[in-house]
Amino acid sequence: MDLFSVIFYVFAVITLGAAGIVVFSRNIVHSAFALLFAFFGVAGIYVLLMADFLAITQLMIYVGGILVLLIFGVMLTQRQIAVDIKTGTIQTIPALIIVSALAGTLVGMFWVTVWRTSGIPPVEPTASKIGELLLTTYLLPFEVASVVLLVALIGAAMIARREKKA
Amino acid sequence: MFDIHYSSLTAVQTYFRNIWLALYTALIGMRLTWRHLFTPAVTIQYPDVKLKLPERARNRLYVNIDDCIGCDQCSMACPVDCITIETIKGTPDQDLGTTSTGNKKRLHVPVFDIDIAKCCYCGLCVYPCPTECIVMTDVYEFSEFDRRNLNYHYSAMTPAEIAVAKEKLRKYDEEQAAKKAAAAAAAPKPPAPAATATPPPKPETPPN
Amino acid sequence: MEELGKTILKLIPVIGDQLADISVLVFVIGAAPPLIFILLYALVTLYTEMKVSAHIQDRVAYMYTGYHGILQPVADILKLIQKEDTVPDSADKTLFRLAPYLVFIGTYAGFAVIPFSSAYMGSNINLGVFYLIAASSIVVIGLLMSGWASNNKWSLLGAMRSAAQLVSYEVPTALAVLVAVMITGSLNLNEVSKFQDGGIQNWILFGGPMPITQKLLLLPFTFITFLILFLAGMAEVNRTPFDLPEAESELVQGFNTEYSGMKFAIFYLAEYANMFLVSAVATSLFLGGWSSPFGSFMSGPVWGVFWFVMKGMFFVFVQIWMRWTLPRLRVDQLMYTSWKVMTPFLFVCIFAVGLILVL
Repeated sequence: MDLFSVIFYVFAVITLGAAGIVVFSRNIVHSAFALLFAFFGVAGIYVLLMADFLAITQLMIYVGGILVLLIFGVMLTQRQIAVDIKTGTIQTIPALIIVSALAGTLVGMFWVTVWRTSGIPPVEPTASKIGELLLTTYLLPFEVASVVLLVALIGAAMIARREKKA
Repeated sequence: MFDIHYSSLTAVQTYFRNIWLALYTALIGMRLTWRHLFTPAVTIQYPDVKLKLPERARNRLYVNIDDCIGCDQCSMACPVDCITIETIKGTPDQDLGTTSTGNKKRLHVPVFDIDIAKCCYCGLCVYPCPTECIVMTDVYEFSEFDRRNLNYHYSAMTPAEIAVAKEKLRKYDEEQAAKKAAAAAAAPKPPAPAATATPPPKPETPPN
Repeated sequence: MEELGKTILKLIPVIGDQLADISVLVFVIGAAPPLIFILLYALVTLYTEMKVSAHIQDRVAYMYTGYHGILQPVADILKLIQKEDTVPDSADKTLFRLAPYLVFIGTYAGFAVIPFSSAYMGSNINLGVFYLIAASSIVVIGLLMSGWASNNKWSLLGAMRSAAQLVSYEVPTALAVLVAVMITGSLNLNEVSKFQDGGIQNWILFGGPMPITQKLLLLPFTFITFLILFLAGMAEVNRTPFDLPEAESELVQGFNTEYSGMKFAIFYLAEYANMFLVSAVATSLFLGGWSSPFGSFMSGPVWGVFWFVMKGMFFVFVQIWMRWTLPRLRVDQLMYTSWKVMTPFLFVCIFAVGLILVL
């Protein structure tokens, strides 16, 4: 048990604990805020895997973008500030069966798979390598993704800017 | 520079003009505040340095009780009812003296309280006073730790004097009542006006 | 059960050994200077802000606590520590307590990549500025959390405004950072500062250490970019003229309306720390960071700290100066400035700088 393992477990506990709150919390706002810690824990694990670019992108996109949007949504859809939206439990038995089947499959796969690690040491400055690859080998997917985002932006602008009826 | 006729500009020109104006005017403002950063302060360090108040400053009330004739007009004029006056009629055998303005005093003033905590410093009590005995002074520092201490008692009469005055009035009233009864028994005439002076009729509140 | 107990017992000395390990100590000691700096700096800035605001309005501010009231910030902090730490009855207690710390953590995390001198920065990671922009997004969540948990309409409105503002202004900030990064070719703020070492003429604000023609071509664009970076940074810190989230005349105190005592102090500390963070980023990217403006004269690791703090504090002063000069923007003006002025200007700058660098 070295320092890295300790840190790994700390992050793992943060991630899983927060994810537990997300799922089990009765208060939807608490769930939304607990996501922050889940994302943060995952980012921490990315850092431990020497994927610093990925970790920061995780923070930037999930925390800075998606989570803010999500919390905005949750806050604005509540009819009143004082009343909490409660998440209820329905269909317990079928859900239990499906979930346990899924969990069993996942655990089984985890058990059966032979985990191989490549002997190549991690690349130190990841950002420049990723940048180069995005603009050479993976240029097309990169551009397609940006075009899709542009379309989404234009669509959002079109919907938001409805002309006033004279 | 600022009176631009926007109608004569295209949208693009307006856009750049606005940005330029925003920056330029912000800089003008910042130049102004920069200058003021080095201008001497206009404020004074109050408890250490005090400004001289104007001669007619309206601050704490003062009552010169020797001149008070107990007419109650100041109390009537007060919009917040902070003046409490109680009076005892003087009997004809007593000489209560005259005020410095020459009015004859006919009433004892056992209670003349001003709750200065309620006072709103409007000065309305000052104008009706026929003897000019209630005035506003330039004293403005009279904070107290207990609010009750702000209820100022101006009456100079001691409890013993008050008791004497009350006793005299009671005896006089009894005498008068006896006289009146005797007169009524003698002749059914309309009653004579009382000998004691009632306060003069209230004038309207003077224009402020 | 016994097995588990043994494992835990086995674990403890291992962690203990690790804590005694020099590497952990280095982490702890390495993380401390920014915190100490923030605390001292907050005291100084508190005093500066009060004095500057007073003198701009031809007043004198506090004069009695020590010489010209120099001890007043200490008194203020002492007062805040002693004040009752109230939590409203109808507030969401957990989130209410958590929010100020989250805001401060987001700010403090940003300090990890600030090079105070050529010899010291918290974490020498390659992705410096990128990390900083990501870390500041935690602040948004903290503000939203405080606004929500207070269960107060002003707090919530303030938090909403603040989040909208931060998300909008992250775009110009990131784009402006990109310009400097394009010129230096590194995201690490220490590398960026090193790139500009060697005197005032090498600062990226003045075109960077390029051949003279390229420098002159770059100069207008870097100048505009720096201006936008600084203004967008001010907007991210919620300072006047961009202080809509805590607009006193409209929202009482915005997201921290319900906070008192130490929690309020932490919000305050975070705001002041953020002011320096913005100035530090602008300084590192465009004004040479820790490098001396006189070339090799007065340069070195220790002088580096001096220059860095001086430059940072100058821009903190400019922020205070602007705060007490300019009125608050309207919400639509705020969004207009971000999306219709700063962003297009920066696109032009990025394009132009890229073109000049390629040629």
